[in-house]
Amino acid sequence: MNRVWGLEELLAALLRYGSWSACAAIGLGFTLALIGSHLPARNPATMPHRIATMGIALIILLPILRVLLMFLVFIRERDFRFASISGLVLAIILAGIFFGLPSA
Amino acid sequence: MAGSFIVWLFAVSVAASALGGMLGMASGIFIVPLLTMFGHVEIHTAIGASIISVIPCSCGGAAPYLKNRLTNIRLAIVLETATTVGALTGVLLAGIVPVPYLYLLFAVILFLSAHQMLAGAVIRFLSPRTKRHAFGEIHCAWTRLIRIERLVAMSRCLISCASRTLRHAAHVWRRPDFSVIRYRSGVLKIPAMDTAMRLPLKVSSATSNFMIGVTAAASAGVYFMRGNIVTEIAGPVAFGSVLGAIMGARILLIVPNDKLRLLFAAILVVLGVQMLLTLFGVHLIKGSL
Repeated sequence: MNRVWGLEELLAALLRYGSWSACAAIGLGFTLALIGSHLPARNPATMPHRIATMGIALIILLPILRVLLMFLVFIRERDFRFASISGLVLAIILAGIFFGLPSA
Repeated sequence: MAGSFIVWLFAVSVAASALGGMLGMASGIFIVPLLTMFGHVEIHTAIGASIISVIPCSCGGAAPYLKNRLTNIRLAIVLETATTVGALTGVLLAGIVPVPYLYLLFAVILFLSAHQMLAGAVIRFLSPRTKRHAFGEIHCAWTRLIRIERLVAMSRCLISCASRTLRHAAHVWRRPDFSVIRYRSGVLKIPAMDTAMRLPLKVSSATSNFMIGVTAAASAGVYFMRGNIVTEIAGPVAFGSVLGAIMGARILLIVPNDKLRLLFAAILVVLGVQMLLTLFGVHLIKGSL
């Protein structure tokens, strides 16, 4: 299993399907908005706006998930040196999100 | 905001991202000037949109590279410890450093990178014997400059994150230093890996592309929490960027390295000139939309 699905293939699949589903969400949101002729800007609570925002949130999450996947794969391969390196990257990103809240 | 504006944003993003993905460069470098100069988008919104556009550009472009085994994953994750720290430092510093200094710094970096890329390209076009004499001087100057930058960046790295891993990744000299400008990752990283680590351009391109997503996500998380990411602007830009990135990645596998370098250098010079002109308040083209 692991030989067929190397880390490269796993990451490629995650990034490919992740970006496409995020894009599909954004595209769907804006297509609905354009068809409905009422743009999301005028009514932020509309469904199209919510779908597009979900897509954007997914875009931000995607690289974080990528690091998480690398972390898990390295742990499973018992490569603890690189597991700790990916863990550190993950911790830095999360620290930024949680401690970077107050606006400059 | 009209529907045509969304279509315009989309079209600009496809073009910028195809170019960016082809060069392994973050497309934000084109998107921020275009959005602020022609689209009259507020600068923070433009930066937020560009950060978002960078992520699918990186992820969309990374998949083909990964399948072709061009990406060095382990190198990428080691370097990311520094790039994420750099990105967060940048988010903090961007609020402190005055905007004109950011423009100047960015223009200088663009020129330096262009010169560096061009020197490498010209060297390869000349015969191996003449190149050493003709470009030895330039190369020496560069090596000296890089060494100074490395010292500055290293000291910052050690202050911000005095870990053993980071010292292990000391090759990332310049990254935290210039991270105040959010959309420069590719411009710095490719020449960095190309000249300092002597990786083939395609490998450094692919690895850089792979890393940019995580680096951008570190800043994007903060921007998203602060509410600087506007769906109406970031959405079409991100959507267009993915299409462009995949187009660019396909082209990169066909086009030879040296031609790519020349194109890369030319674009960097044009952007640098534009940044300098903006710094001095000169607007050659006043667009309206």
